[in-house]
Amino acid sequence: MSSKFGLAGGIPERRVRPIWDAIDSRQFKNALKLVSSLLSKYPKSPYALALKALIHERMGKTDEALSVCLDAKELLYKDDLALMDDLTLSTLQIVLQRLDHLDLATSCYAHACGKFPNNLELMMGLFNCYVREYSFVKQQQTAIKMYKLAGEERFLLWAVCSIQLQVLCDKSGEKLLLLAEGLLKKHIASHSMHEPEALMVYISLLEQESKYNDALEVLSGDLGSLLMIEVDKLRIQGRLLARANDYSAAVDVYKKILELSPDDWECFLHYLGCLLEDDSIWKYFDNIDQIHPTKHIECKFSHLTEEMFDSRISSASDLVQKLLRDNENSNLRGPYLAELEIEKRKFLFGKKNENKLLESLLQYFLKFGHLACYASDVEAYLQVLSPKKKAEFVGMLVKNSDSFSESATKVLGQTTTILKVQELTGNIFELPVDEIEASAVKLAKLYCQNLSLSKDLDPQESMFGEELLSLISNMLVQLFWRTRDFGYLAEAIMVLELGLTIRGHVWQYKILLLHIYSYVGALPLAFERYKALDVKNILTETVSHHILRQMLESPMWVDLSNLLKDYLKFMDDHLRESADLTFLAYRHRNYSKVIEFVLFKQRLQHSNQYQAARVEAAVLQLKQNADSVEEEERILENLKSGVQLVELSNEIGSKTLRFNEDMQTRPWWTPCPEKNYLLGPFEEISYGSNENVKEDREENMKRAIQRKSLLPRMIYLSIQSTSTALKESVETNGSGSDVKIGGELKCLLEEYTKMLGCSLSDAVEMITEISQGARTSESLGSNLVDWLNFAVFWNAWSLSSHEHWHVLNSLFERLILDRVRSMGSSDMSSCYSDVQVLVQIVTEPLAWHSLIIQACTRSSLPSGKKKKKNQHSDQLSSSPMSQAIKDSIQSLCSTIQEVSSWLLNQLNHPEDEQVERFLSTLKRDEDAAGGPGQILGVLESFIASSEESEVGNRIFQALKSWNTADTTRKTVMAQQRVLREFLQICESKRKLLETLKQQMSHV
Amino acid sequence: MTTIRRFSCNDLLRFTSVNLDHLTETFNMSFYMTYLARWPDYFHVAEGPGNRVMGYIMGKVEGQGESWHGHVTAVTVSPEYRRQQLAKKLMNLLEDISDKIDKAYFVDLFVRASNTPAIKMYEKLGYIIYRRVLRYYSGEEDGLDMRKALSRDVEKKSVIPLKRPITPDELEYD
Repeated sequence: MSSKFGLAGGIPERRVRPIWDAIDSRQFKNALKLVSSLLSKYPKSPYALALKALIHERMGKTDEALSVCLDAKELLYKDDLALMDDLTLSTLQIVLQRLDHLDLATSCYAHACGKFPNNLELMMGLFNCYVREYSFVKQQQTAIKMYKLAGEERFLLWAVCSIQLQVLCDKSGEKLLLLAEGLLKKHIASHSMHEPEALMVYISLLEQESKYNDALEVLSGDLGSLLMIEVDKLRIQGRLLARANDYSAAVDVYKKILELSPDDWECFLHYLGCLLEDDSIWKYFDNIDQIHPTKHIECKFSHLTEEMFDSRISSASDLVQKLLRDNENSNLRGPYLAELEIEKRKFLFGKKNENKLLESLLQYFLKFGHLACYASDVEAYLQVLSPKKKAEFVGMLVKNSDSFSESATKVLGQTTTILKVQELTGNIFELPVDEIEASAVKLAKLYCQNLSLSKDLDPQESMFGEELLSLISNMLVQLFWRTRDFGYLAEAIMVLELGLTIRGHVWQYKILLLHIYSYVGALPLAFERYKALDVKNILTETVSHHILRQMLESPMWVDLSNLLKDYLKFMDDHLRESADLTFLAYRHRNYSKVIEFVLFKQRLQHSNQYQAARVEAAVLQLKQNADSVEEEERILENLKSGVQLVELSNEIGSKTLRFNEDMQTRPWWTPCPEKNYLLGPFEEISYGSNENVKEDREENMKRAIQRKSLLPRMIYLSIQSTSTALKESVETNGSGSDVKIGGELKCLLEEYTKMLGCSLSDAVEMITEISQGARTSESLGSNLVDWLNFAVFWNAWSLSSHEHWHVLNSLFERLILDRVRSMGSSDMSSCYSDVQVLVQIVTEPLAWHSLIIQACTRSSLPSGKKKKKNQHSDQLSSSPMSQAIKDSIQSLCSTIQEVSSWLLNQLNHPEDEQVERFLSTLKRDEDAAGGPGQILGVLESFIASSEESEVGNRIFQALKSWNTADTTRKTVMAQQRVLREFLQICESKRKLLETLKQQMSHV
Repeated sequence: MTTIRRFSCNDLLRFTSVNLDHLTETFNMSFYMTYLARWPDYFHVAEGPGNRVMGYIMGKVEGQGESWHGHVTAVTVSPEYRRQQLAKKLMNLLEDISDKIDKAYFVDLFVRASNTPAIKMYEKLGYIIYRRVLRYYSGEEDGLDMRKALSRDVEKKSVIPLKRPITPDELEYD
């Protein structure tokens, strides 16, 4: 517009350019100077004001920025002739968006559009505003106006997308889709259609309405030529035919695709699905939630007679045989796997072909068994086998692999594959301990023998046999689980650390180490390994679960705080910028991406991990400052007294949380963060996924987040209630506000216990019985800390009851001292899970309770500078509540002292002694037949005898730098650091309580 | 057994095991989404059985006149699926789209000068080293600009190697 004439926002371009240059080079002071002189010449220019606002915002002066924006807005509204160009408005929008005042930007654009109803550029700006606000209805209305004005296809498509989004996200009536369809039809009739993306939207719209035949007609008509990649077109056609239940036609289409690309696995599955008239594969098509690998493909056969099944399967076999013949020399896995799929379907249909299935699996092994993907390729087929057949199959593999030995890499690959199959089938859990040991020793030898293969590899490249070390460590962890001999775990650490010394890029080693270190309490090392994974951007959403939980339950607050900050920053940034990218997709006419982006943003917004992290970040701040009630009040003020988080809790209750974490990368012993097999006794496990378990887990996560988000508010209310509770205990009549506080706290307690799965009165009964020893703490299950939190706030709600104080004191004593006693003199490696629970008790419920006592003490002390005791506090000193507080301080003091003593005792062992003890678990008795240390023995003797000429300089140097004792020392030091940090927290709590004790003695 | 299809946002949540590999960069969201929003045909994922992500390619098409070309921004294959010519398949797809749909003159890509295995692979796919870009990677390592001519560049003018190395500020495009 105006800029065409060398004007920017009505100001000559040459005057504006230096300002932008200064902004771009971050010389904000200079920019401000320039803009001030500009404003002296053009005092009424909204554009100059917008620039000034922008500079203020960049300088971090948000209040000034907003006020200048408002001035600019006023000018725009007041002056009819003011230049309402897009440049001014979009500059304002940038600032307002950053100030979180999108609504103001929208109203400026809306006002401008009202004044200049035929200005397309302004309307696009307004449309953009609605995209940012996710107001799909208004988007639609604006787009329609633009379409009417300019008649362009793209604006119509913007409107159609906005309609689809209303139906998908706002659950608006599907009648709207009819409207969209009508608009498109009318447009096509008069103008045809010109963009492939527009056609895709049209088809998706018809599909959304289940009008598959209409969609097919469109696709096969003239418009179909818009899709230039033949296979893409056929895929859509096949899908539409299948969804329209025209299976025979769909089969032909899929056959065509397979002839064009015989390796297209998904297409083969669709082909087979259509051939067997099985629609279950389409069940997930509209389910956008499908991000996790599908291991089970459901099959439906009941509608087929045996004869029909046989004839169809035989035609599938014919096709596969043809594909195999046509691609004989190409080494494609697809057609071979297709044979397996056919055998599997036969088996599921009830044919007694288990042996044939085994035979096909073996053939596939002979052809592709050396590839790293064999095991994951056949996972779905192994799962349908009976345990007996699984074992038989492993036997077949072992027998047949020996006969194959043409190349070392092939043998290596096959051996690795067999082990992976043993893991997948659960076969490895059935083997006797000595067999597993022998097998691990064999693998270690194989690893050593084959190191020379990697001699000339670039250090960037994966080495041969790399996976063997992961497999060995998996076996060692299992041996530990079975025997409880710590040596195996120590050995697993050594094997993996050695692997990293040889090649530091193997992320699988890092993840395994991270979990072993977490288990033995060497959390700083676990965190180090996590950091070495270089988890950033979207990976923070999918990978943080490896470390987050352990960190939340640890005293490593600084690292935890950074972890949460980085993650939340990533998520918040994305949620903020996503709309801009959506608009980019609109502008580039990639309409399918518009819908994808909006749904993806919602998916991240509803991520369970994101919601949990928001709450945990707040709780962490409260934990870190719990030693000072004033500091805590400041934090609470920033948290809006916890109200926002209570709202979050309610909100979460009403929506579905999303689980975006990639659990596939977790080790076998901890398939999800809440589960760790090593904490319980040995049992045989299988890897089958269980839908119910998943659902339960999701429900539990939701409740846990909901519970935790109530904490800040309960802390706030508890502190508030103390200021009046003391008075009350003296004067016995509460004021109106106290009643309100008490009422709200009670509601939250009810809410909280509901999410623990019981009523308030049942919860009170539970904790009372445990405090009296009538029940054991096991009845609290894994939510022990939550129960204690409940007890703390329940006491805060009824501070005047001496009995409640007593229950709480005994509860703390019992739960803490039981643990300290059971840990006894065992070392950190074997009792870290107890330490984790203690850390949580001390840093949460105990911290909150101390905080409440602080608040009580503060209100009972003479206020201000008046040192003289007043009559009020005289009364207090003799009040029953004051006595209750004193008793509680005394009780907490001695309880925490016990924890400190235990920690000191651990820390007092000299480091060398601990290193020695750790190493001794790896030492083998020469005469003993088995036990830990054998594998390390193999590896160390290889290191001692290896030669540079054999393994190459790089590997040789790495091997020579290996030192078992160094790795041990690092582990021990990491364990000690955790203990020291915890001791520091305990000591600060103890000191706080001592101070309170003194203060109370003056009351 | 590979299904190659357009990359979608949800694939960002599924490519973990590919991206944990140290040579695969995990970009920020606006980077991925800008590619998806502008060049969805240049961003493809290869999927294996069980819907596992095997690898992916992202790229774009840009330039004026005879330098209108396809560009490979990233191509990566999970270690589990290496040595099966998957990168080749993905590259061929991008070349095909540049050639047939967008009628580009050539396809280019940048690679670290030290990344010998990758350079060898690209050479096998028909790419030649067109020029060296000094300190292209974070101001430290040199990059190699490799190119492959498409059918529209009949005389293969776009791939005649430059004699001297250039500096990053001389590059026509980012």
